[in-house]
Amino acid sequence: MSLDRALPAPSAPAVKKLDLHGWGTPLMLIGAWLLLILLTGVTKPTFLSNQTVLAITFTMAIIGVLAIGQGLVAISGGFIDLSQPAALIFSSFVAVRVTEFGMPLPVTILAAVLAGMAWGFLNALIIVYAKLNPVIVTLATNFIGLAALFLVFQQAQVPIGSDIHAFGRASFFGLPAIWWPMLLLILIIGFLMPRTRYGRRAIAVGGNRFAARARGISLKATRFAIFTAAGGFVGFAAVLFAASSGPFNPSSANLLQLNVIAAVILAGISLSGGRGNFWYLLLSVGFLSTIPTALVFFGLTSDSQSIFQGFILLIAVAIDGYRARRQPS
Amino acid sequence: MTDTAFPQSATTQAAPAAYVVPHHPIRAALTGSVASIALTFLLVLAIGLFFVGPRFLSFSNISIIGSFLVVPLIVGACSGFALLAGVVDLSVGSMVGFSSALFALLLLNGWDIWLAGFVTLVACLGFGAITAAAIVGFGADAIAASLGMLTALRGITWVLVGATGSLFAFNPGFFAVANASLFGLPILFLVALLLTVIAALIVTKTRIGRHVQAVGGDDRAAARAGISVKTIRVAALLLSAFGAGIGGIIFVGQLGSAARATGFGLEFQVYAALMIGGYSILRGGVGNPIGGALGLLVVAGVSNIIDLRAISPYFVNIIVGAMLLAAVLLDRLRGGDSYE
Repeated sequence: MSLDRALPAPSAPAVKKLDLHGWGTPLMLIGAWLLLILLTGVTKPTFLSNQTVLAITFTMAIIGVLAIGQGLVAISGGFIDLSQPAALIFSSFVAVRVTEFGMPLPVTILAAVLAGMAWGFLNALIIVYAKLNPVIVTLATNFIGLAALFLVFQQAQVPIGSDIHAFGRASFFGLPAIWWPMLLLILIIGFLMPRTRYGRRAIAVGGNRFAARARGISLKATRFAIFTAAGGFVGFAAVLFAASSGPFNPSSANLLQLNVIAAVILAGISLSGGRGNFWYLLLSVGFLSTIPTALVFFGLTSDSQSIFQGFILLIAVAIDGYRARRQPS
Repeated sequence: MTDTAFPQSATTQAAPAAYVVPHHPIRAALTGSVASIALTFLLVLAIGLFFVGPRFLSFSNISIIGSFLVVPLIVGACSGFALLAGVVDLSVGSMVGFSSALFALLLLNGWDIWLAGFVTLVACLGFGAITAAAIVGFGADAIAASLGMLTALRGITWVLVGATGSLFAFNPGFFAVANASLFGLPILFLVALLLTVIAALIVTKTRIGRHVQAVGGDDRAAARAGISVKTIRVAALLLSAFGAGIGGIIFVGQLGSAARATGFGLEFQVYAALMIGGYSILRGGVGNPIGGALGLLVVAGVSNIIDLRAISPYFVNIIVGAMLLAAVLLDRLRGGDSYE
């Protein structure tokens, strides 16, 4: 994915590099996160409170589940799924409508996940059969999808008093209920990806698709599986989104996109594919979700939040590109 | 960004070594990307005349489209060089917003208009240099890196504009120039078209243009041929930032104010149109400023028809998205990268 990978790599640095045995990413993330918490906590002692933990974990839930989907696309060489906002709103809208029919929570979750999977499958259909790059395909489907959603509805909200509405506000062991499924999903996916045949196939396709195909892995089947599964995670994130947010309109999810991409890249899941550990998503999502809460304590508005998010993404991508250039794997 | 990891295997599979480059100028002119976008343009004109009637091509209607297209045309002509060089700069939308906000703020504080413009452009070039350092210096993925800059600059724009939501910086002289007409059409529209033609001449007729295309087409081959890949890419990104800076200043001139939403979504509007016009955001070396400008005219024509027929404006995005997919598919069938 890095543009200049084709150019000769810079000669090895003369200084002896600290060998962290692949632990560089998590240590860096923990360091950055602790530094942020310490800096804010020391200057604004009220930051270190239960309220802050609640706010951070609340923010983590949706971004974390979306990041799993984005990570699956990235690790399998699909670069980025830019259609996540449209898919999320579409599935949330399905969840709202299903709830309005009086369906119980499990049916709502199933419907939203299926809606997300259908969306991902549609993306995969275009990508595989038209042989077009996922970045452009998802850019276009996001464009079309959001416009179509605006034609269907201007504002939606889950009925107050429904199961899903209660789920979005419930807490479990002192943390928001919507946080726990995110934790569980990241732990499971992070465990399964390197340990199952399917996970390893996806990573192999992302690393070198020609070598993967030469070993008998079907690229088409992998693309379909990955995009459909990624859509399923977006569908589940949509349940959390519909449950926890108030009234939303089709453009409500646009600002999530950037945090999700930043979380994936910061976690070391390279956009060039084939590398990454999903467990680190917990750290990167946690770090990114702490920033808005910390900024509030410094009296900064949500406007300046975008500045930090943007530059953090820029730095993360620069580090990702630097790494890819240093170790062409 | 594309399949740079395995260019050799891809090319050997795709085409057996062709030692003679077939040259059919007439056939190329009829089947090339500019030809298909020109046909689409004529089709839009026909649809417009059919559904809207003669007033679609009246001077007043073209003036409306034209003054709306000034900034997209200028931004497109400049960012087109970045696309040609193989580095997409998504940050242009927010760069336009940032430039308009800073320029309006400086005017409000009583700065001289030339000095304000100069400082604004320098600030835009500064942010463009940061993007360029990340993409070219560190090898960051261009889409993700410029997406970061897009968000950061949007935040800066919001902070500059402040809580009121808009900055009124009405300068009578500048407003008159920005909205002046010549032969019944906005002067700036004619200037933007002239700029497009100049950009097209630079791309097709000069050595610099060929170098830019070479860098975007195959950076390794270009480097072996002695072209400085990094210099060209940094210059292209700086030009893109410069064009967006000019665009923001023109917005202030046209509207007399800068708002929180100035330039919002402009990057997708421009790049969708440029891709419809034959550029690629994933692959350098393809596209032509004339095709890009025709792409912008096609999109503007479609939204004008939808506007005049009082159809929901959301259909514009649906049509543009479908045209984008069709254009990319056409580009692939014409020999562009296929993704597997």
